[in-house]
Amino acid sequence: MHLLRTILVLFLLISYNSFANNEPFKSTYYPLPQSNILFKGGNIYDGEGNEFLNTDLIINNGVIVAIGEDLPVSEDTIIKDVTGKWITPGIIDIHSHMGVYPAPSVSTSSDGNEATSPVTAEVWAEHSMWVQDPQYALALAGGVTTFHVLPGSANLIGGRGVTVKNIQRNTINSMKFPDAPHSLKMACGENPKRVYGNRGQAPSTRMGNIAGYRKSWIKAASYLNKQQEYENKSPEAKELEYRPERNLELDTLAGVLKGEILVHNHCYRAEEMAMMIDIAKEFNYKITAFHHAVEAYKIADLLAENKICAALWADWWGFKHEAYDMVQANIAIVDQAKNGTGCAIVHSDSEIGIQHLNQEAAKALSAGNRAGYSISKARAMKWITSNPAKAAGIYEKTGSLKADKNADIVIWSGDPFSVYSKAEEVYIDGALAFDRANNLKPVSDFDIGIINASENRVN
Amino acid sequence: MRIRNHLFIYLLILNQVLNANIVIENASIWDGESQKQYLGNILIKDERIENISNRKFQAEKTIDASGMIITPGFIAPDTKIGILEIGALAVTRDDSDDFYHIGFSIHDAYNPQSTLIPWNRSNGISSAIATPSNGNLPIGGLASYYVLDGSLDIVSSRDIAMIASIGGTNNSSRAKDLALIEDLLSLAKDAIDNNINSSEEINEFIEDSALANRLELLPRDIAALTKLVTKNIALIIDVHRASDILKIIELQRDFDLRVVISGGQESWMVADAIANARIPVILDPLNNIPNSFDQLGARNNTAKLLDDAGVLVMFKVDRSHNYHLIRQGAGNAVANGLAYHSAINGLSSNVADVFKIKDRGKIKKGFYADLIVWDGDPLEPASMPLYLFINGEMMDLTSRSTRLRDRYTNQNNIPNTYKD
Repeated sequence: MHLLRTILVLFLLISYNSFANNEPFKSTYYPLPQSNILFKGGNIYDGEGNEFLNTDLIINNGVIVAIGEDLPVSEDTIIKDVTGKWITPGIIDIHSHMGVYPAPSVSTSSDGNEATSPVTAEVWAEHSMWVQDPQYALALAGGVTTFHVLPGSANLIGGRGVTVKNIQRNTINSMKFPDAPHSLKMACGENPKRVYGNRGQAPSTRMGNIAGYRKSWIKAASYLNKQQEYENKSPEAKELEYRPERNLELDTLAGVLKGEILVHNHCYRAEEMAMMIDIAKEFNYKITAFHHAVEAYKIADLLAENKICAALWADWWGFKHEAYDMVQANIAIVDQAKNGTGCAIVHSDSEIGIQHLNQEAAKALSAGNRAGYSISKARAMKWITSNPAKAAGIYEKTGSLKADKNADIVIWSGDPFSVYSKAEEVYIDGALAFDRANNLKPVSDFDIGIINASENRVN
Repeated sequence: MRIRNHLFIYLLILNQVLNANIVIENASIWDGESQKQYLGNILIKDERIENISNRKFQAEKTIDASGMIITPGFIAPDTKIGILEIGALAVTRDDSDDFYHIGFSIHDAYNPQSTLIPWNRSNGISSAIATPSNGNLPIGGLASYYVLDGSLDIVSSRDIAMIASIGGTNNSSRAKDLALIEDLLSLAKDAIDNNINSSEEINEFIEDSALANRLELLPRDIAALTKLVTKNIALIIDVHRASDILKIIELQRDFDLRVVISGGQESWMVADAIANARIPVILDPLNNIPNSFDQLGARNNTAKLLDDAGVLVMFKVDRSHNYHLIRQGAGNAVANGLAYHSAINGLSSNVADVFKIKDRGKIKKGFYADLIVWDGDPLEPASMPLYLFINGEMMDLTSRSTRLRDRYTNQNNIPNTYKD
């Protein structure tokens, strides 16, 4: 009897454990049909800060093989002359709300802010994403191969973000970037205090914001402690008690404390970012990136010292008081901090901006060089490729044209920093996902038969 | 004269120079009307362009613009520059008010010292049409034109256009909105036909009108409407859906208006009808998002399709703080097929022509010297003005933004608060 009971408990524990450890909503992504291609004679920005003129690039079985000349090719390799064109890694947007704020922007699909409580760490952006959003295809035509979708900024802690490959399919799981870490959206400043202050509840001030984060981390630390205490017990001791009950909100926060979930923190003002760094130190977690950070240039060294990226616009300002101190060289100043060890990212937060991240980078670059820096285009390319890949935790897989990385690449008609250049072909995992000349592009279900029953929507 | 000009003149006298002639030499000129750029020397005398020629001019000051493009100063056609400081701070906004439903003029709210002005100016915007935001009615609110020299001695044209909008909303039908606009225009025609002029007559006229009573119209509202039906002012209608645009074309025909379409995401579908009605369109070439069910036809090459059909095109962007990004929009329009000169004209002369802004928008003998020497292609977003003139005066290109930049990129051993 005792033995039977032990077996039963063990069985329950195992099944409970496997339930708890099993990653729900796992990626089922698979690439489109791939080709082995030698791109011949192109000009290349590799996303690592290098420029190669009139050089070849080989992709094979969905990954980058090499950049160089006289590269060995297999029999099934397609040779593509790209003389005079530019090749870059696929563009990555670290701040998108596509899918959670889709087009058309109607109340029935505006699912980006669970603005019912200042801390909603339990919600996941991927559970709001509308897969038929017509905006993904527009971003793809701008060279975007991967994007990171975050909840909005109404809450202090808004919930989990998700990183997706820009292959539009009819489930979110089939778009999710395989094994990409989860992220957590946090927000400083005006938005949370406005949303909740207007309802006469906390937070209604910036000091209320700070108290709110710290209260949450105290709860999370205690939760994690209980979970770990249980884990550290002997099997015999575990027999005698139930595993502490799971809590979705605290699962997410504990994931941050364990270093498994990356913190993406919407924060505009310099002093608020400095305080968020203090909070991260108090509770021993890491902030991966500050987003929007219009005042990042005021604390660029502090960000570099703490190895925190800043995901920024080239020029947005003035829509809020905390966005008033815009400096167009912000991105360049962050990039150049501490002898060029800063991590600068050009982000969009916009369904239009995401289509032109190359142009946004061009503005930021020219502003930086006008401010007295001498930053190359090859380096600026990192702002929209490898740096956002690092911030999304997928740099080992994409974000630059290094051997064995995903063959996520864009062929541009000309200098990618020019307004006149366009993404001609976009490859995701070595598969052609967009081809301007041959009108190959995804068409969402929303787009078909909607203006004219027998045609697709425009663009 | 202005205080600043006094200072200017004083400095010139110190230098024993008697007039303020400037010549810009060897410029590659896009003049706002020619289909091609040409090389030339531009002589500026006082406020205006004295001459443009291949021959050399003598002047007190010479700017060598070899290899540089020069354009007219760009004109923002539908912006809040000067009437708003911070978007989310209502206390800094003067762009809307519902007391006067139709005759609300933003003219006197303009703040020449707004930070939006030096920033937009340093990026190429030399003058602007500031438009109010819609009130409760589908029509109403008067826009004014300003020269963005930042002087407290404001150069402006008061109430040059009224605004309206037609489309999907949460709480009304566009059928009612169109009917209401028609009824209001008919009311204005009645006022004119009945020779209603004195304030007593207008008050009586309002008293006798069920519509005016219901809407609580005031004499200012009637006066504004009469300017519309006498073609004294333009009517900027925010409209996207193709079927709505056709109704607007009927409205222009029935009431003999000077309609300007703003937005026009689906205007390309009815480009010929718009061209035949000689209605110009203000559009955002970057906005290809089907953001509402009225905008399903949004696309990248609307500017090209309209231009091909013979429609005058101008450019807008949503955010007034960076309204200069109409350059980036125009550049993208060119990337999608629009002729380069049409893009330049859309940023300059088309706005002046459509809104009857006298002697501006072109680099032309006798016109005000509002012009820009660029450090690159003005349609590349990475380019910036090197020199910008308004009314013949070389503008300082400093902005709050460049001041902040300089604070944080120099002398990092000193606290920012102890720097310039």
